[in-house]
Amino acid sequence: MLSEAGRVLSRLLEGAYICQVSDEEGWRFLKQRENQNQIKPHLDVLNRQLSTAADGSVFYASYISIGEEERKHLTAQFAETTSQLMPLVEWLVLVQQATQSDVPLAMGSAIRLSELQQIIEDTPAFRETLEKIARYRLFGSTSVNMDGQLKQVFKRLTDLGYLLKPNSEKQIYLATGKIEYLYEVIKFIDETEGLGLAEQAEAAIAQGSLL
Amino acid sequence: MSQIIEEGKRLLNALARHGDIIMQAYANGTVTERQFPANALEQLVRLGVLWRPDASQPLRLKAVVRNLLEGSLQDERNRVMSTNVVAALSGLTTLAEHYKESLLAQRFAESQSYLNELTEHVYQLSEALGNSIRVLFSRINDEFGYVSSVEAKIRENQLAQEQVSELLNQLECFQFDQLSQVAGNYSELRHLLVVTLQRRFAKAAQELSVVQARLLALLGRFREFQGRTRLLKGYLLHQEQHPDFAPRQYINMTQPPALFTQAPPLLAEAKADVFNTEHENVLALIAVSVGAHKVRVKPKTTAVAQKFTLEEASSVTLNDSEIKVAVEAYFERVIDSGQTLSALTYFDEKQLDFDKEVWLYQVIGEYDGLTSTDKAFFALEWEGQTDPVFTGNYYIEDILLGLR
Repeated sequence: MLSEAGRVLSRLLEGAYICQVSDEEGWRFLKQRENQNQIKPHLDVLNRQLSTAADGSVFYASYISIGEEERKHLTAQFAETTSQLMPLVEWLVLVQQATQSDVPLAMGSAIRLSELQQIIEDTPAFRETLEKIARYRLFGSTSVNMDGQLKQVFKRLTDLGYLLKPNSEKQIYLATGKIEYLYEVIKFIDETEGLGLAEQAEAAIAQGSLL
Repeated sequence: MSQIIEEGKRLLNALARHGDIIMQAYANGTVTERQFPANALEQLVRLGVLWRPDASQPLRLKAVVRNLLEGSLQDERNRVMSTNVVAALSGLTTLAEHYKESLLAQRFAESQSYLNELTEHVYQLSEALGNSIRVLFSRINDEFGYVSSVEAKIRENQLAQEQVSELLNQLECFQFDQLSQVAGNYSELRHLLVVTLQRRFAKAAQELSVVQARLLALLGRFREFQGRTRLLKGYLLHQEQHPDFAPRQYINMTQPPALFTQAPPLLAEAKADVFNTEHENVLALIAVSVGAHKVRVKPKTTAVAQKFTLEEASSVTLNDSEIKVAVEAYFERVIDSGQTLSALTYFDEKQLDFDKEVWLYQVIGEYDGLTSTDKAFFALEWEGQTDPVFTGNYYIEDILLGLR
């Protein structure tokens, strides 16, 4: 039997994001400093270290030193991450608007697919947005009906680790810590590039622009 | 007194009879007068349950009735707090003085009624405090669920925080040394003013500090929500206005941010170890299940006619490999000379061009390959040594081949 340290270590090496939703035990394990020290030497050997994002709500393995090989991989990964930002943000805004919630999706939020589907079906504007989102390469839906598009989007998001379906028989999805990671990425880009995204949004709201 | 009781009963009966009017006024703020008989409305106005703020305005519920309902229904929308502690405090002091004076004058009946009134006041004050705190808590636990937008929640939160500071300020006004002076040596007064109130206030102060902390935490969360919503919408806007915006390559920075240095998956599944005796059972079960699976999905093969041509059978020649020939020559040499000869000595003598280990293996192989009658002619001995650490391992260094 694998010890908890071994289990968490393998999850990290499989490239998982460990959070309270996706793996509560593993997340609690990693919260302890002595446990972190326990797995550190194993990660060290493989040029990896434990990284955390969004105030310790999600853990993952990152490189320690970045040589040629690593840089090549990271560059490709970064390009992928940035190309996925737009579809993901559009999806987040759609969910928030459709559920008429002022609270954006965060780790642990539940989405009931059937409810969401009903609202999107009844609102032409949401239907259009969904169609646009589903066509992005990230989701790659070729379906012409709304049901297929929504299912494909949710399937991809689950595959990518942003959502989790705790019960395979129920159409209820939970947002994982990777969503928090996503916010962190946007925040980072906003700050580093000096985009002033919040100010732009505020100005638009003040001007009464419909968002 | 009996008259008051009668009037009170009449009022309560009227409240019960016109419950639907009152609840409509409570829920909607005003009464739709067309729906109810005029005399019922008039009675309620006379009893001071409903009132008309202005001639052109609809009837509304009086604040006392509203408070009663809010208090009993534990309605979380209730955000008005009436804890004028300072006023209550002076009321208490006054009553305490009345009580002391009547006691000194030996007017016991009077003093008892003052004490009752004082007790009522003290409990009222404790209850009002308790209520205020309960209301605050229920609003927090519900995360201000009665307003929908985050902006409104933030405003509600700020209101609640002001109320908490107000309450705390008022609690500070309460000086127990003063009360203790007022109470003097009168045990009843001491019990009420010092013990009961102080205990209640200490608890209230403690609870309020918890409320304050929770409110701040909640405000932080609301701000976070607000920030995130703006971030998302801002990002959409920005992309709309600058469609070809792309962030810099952060990877090329000397210290790439950890956010973007996630390492790729590394682990693959382990393989089965068929030499592990502990796994034998498990692996056998797996093998059986795989076998059954294979049989089940085995596609039906039907014989298909194929074209063939007749041609002469090509001759098959078996070329003995060089090393085999060399080994045979070695065996022949031993037979010819009739003397024991080391394989490596022969190898060096002939300056053969094989790997020494391969040569030795081939010699052993050739010997093992002989028929048992042929084998009986030869004597094969190994020269070598056992492993210094692991038992059962023997390293062959040379082979001596001779005739028996």
